[in-house]
Amino acid sequence: MMFWTKKIHKWASLLIGLQLLIWVFSGLVFNVIDHKKARGNAYRQAPAASEHRVAEKDLLPVESILKAYPDTVELTQTKLLAKPYYLLTQQQGLYRHFANRYLLINAVTGELTKVSEQLASNIAKASYNGPGEITSIALLTANIADYPKQKNPTWRINFSDDLETSVYVEQGSGRLVGHSNSDKRFAGFFFMLHFMDYGDEGSFNNIQIMLFAFVTLWLALSGGIWTVHMVRNGRYRLKASR
Amino acid sequence: MLFIGMQFVIWSVTGAYMVFFDIDYIHGDSLIVNHQTKIQPEKLTYPTQTLFQQYPQAENLSVGMLINREVYRFNIDKQKFMLDATNGQQLSPITESSALAVAKHFYSGDGEVINARLITENPPFELSSRHLPAWRINFDNFGSPALYISANSGKVVTKRHEFWRLFDWMFRFHVMDYDDGENVSNWFLFIIALLAQFAVLSGLVLTYFKVIKPAFTNNKKRGNSATFNGQDKPLNNGGES
Repeated sequence: MMFWTKKIHKWASLLIGLQLLIWVFSGLVFNVIDHKKARGNAYRQAPAASEHRVAEKDLLPVESILKAYPDTVELTQTKLLAKPYYLLTQQQGLYRHFANRYLLINAVTGELTKVSEQLASNIAKASYNGPGEITSIALLTANIADYPKQKNPTWRINFSDDLETSVYVEQGSGRLVGHSNSDKRFAGFFFMLHFMDYGDEGSFNNIQIMLFAFVTLWLALSGGIWTVHMVRNGRYRLKASR
Repeated sequence: MLFIGMQFVIWSVTGAYMVFFDIDYIHGDSLIVNHQTKIQPEKLTYPTQTLFQQYPQAENLSVGMLINREVYRFNIDKQKFMLDATNGQQLSPITESSALAVAKHFYSGDGEVINARLITENPPFELSSRHLPAWRINFDNFGSPALYISANSGKVVTKRHEFWRLFDWMFRFHVMDYDDGENVSNWFLFIIALLAQFAVLSGLVLTYFKVIKPAFTNNKKRGNSATFNGQDKPLNNGGES
């Protein structure tokens, strides 16, 4: 039995030794980093409240909106730059970051609104209180490195500050997905290593980590058996050596 | 290894559990039917102008479905309300039979309802207190699935099964947070992980001297390419040493 235990331990250590080093090291990183910084919200602020808000009863009645735009699953209210909008969900995902389809209607004028580059950058600016200016704007439709779980088209607005802040605004709804910066990307890099998520899928259910986890199980269990075996054989003698 | 060997076993077992089970499955996504029932505008026969006269403080009005019925949902202060959009009848808080109907409507699995319980305070760990009051509907199936239905909005606020509950425990053991499972920055983990780092490094050194180097030098001595037997022999020798 110990013959096989040792043999398994050696082969397993050969296969995953380096990854084990990476796992423990990245685990230590998560333990010691500043989690507040790692959220990426250094330059994020709550949007300003509207000065003179329209009473809800004075908005366009929802009945007429829904008559004009049938095939709606849910109508909710939202605010973009402190102005009231109706958000019509046409196709609803289980979560906001799953695929959803929306229509955005100005609740005062009834105008169908698209979150254009201009509107998206204004939403981003309203959420930003850092020293930077906008350097670039891009519409990302898939594989958003900073938000890998986000499955909906999203505007990325980059700012010129010391932290290289990027602000993300969902195209369909105008929702502020969030801020990201170099501190968050630093933590994200170690999450990628820890999860062996080399494809940046934002997931730890990939095939390579399953294989490595399987071998690690054998390594840890064989090591555990070996240790117990050595303790029984009196190989851990602290008192005797003194 | 005597000190942190156990933690290595815990890390590998909990880690393996977390990577083998798909996270969407863990989150119970497969327990839910994602209905796309459309609002029929002609059913909205109770005018919202009347609603605002009856409930002048109503805020954040929304229109949606309660199974197959068009409803208005709104807040007054922090309190949530729900009205039938055809006649303005107040539906919130929903009755037990409505909660059961909603749960069955959304539940995708097999098994009958075991019981339904209204939770108004002291929610279990798996239910955020902001969802209160909520109905917990337990289903009789593998993994003990449960759906939580908000009593005031009639929406499914969350779902749980044993695989998720077990995942939460696995995570706690993985980050060595034996307190509440929320904190990765604890001193205990730091010390053990630091020791583990030394253990892994020394293990790598051992692997080099006991596995890699013998195999390499042995092949050289034999003067042939790395055949399977050529690698296997020194491993056996090393295993006995």
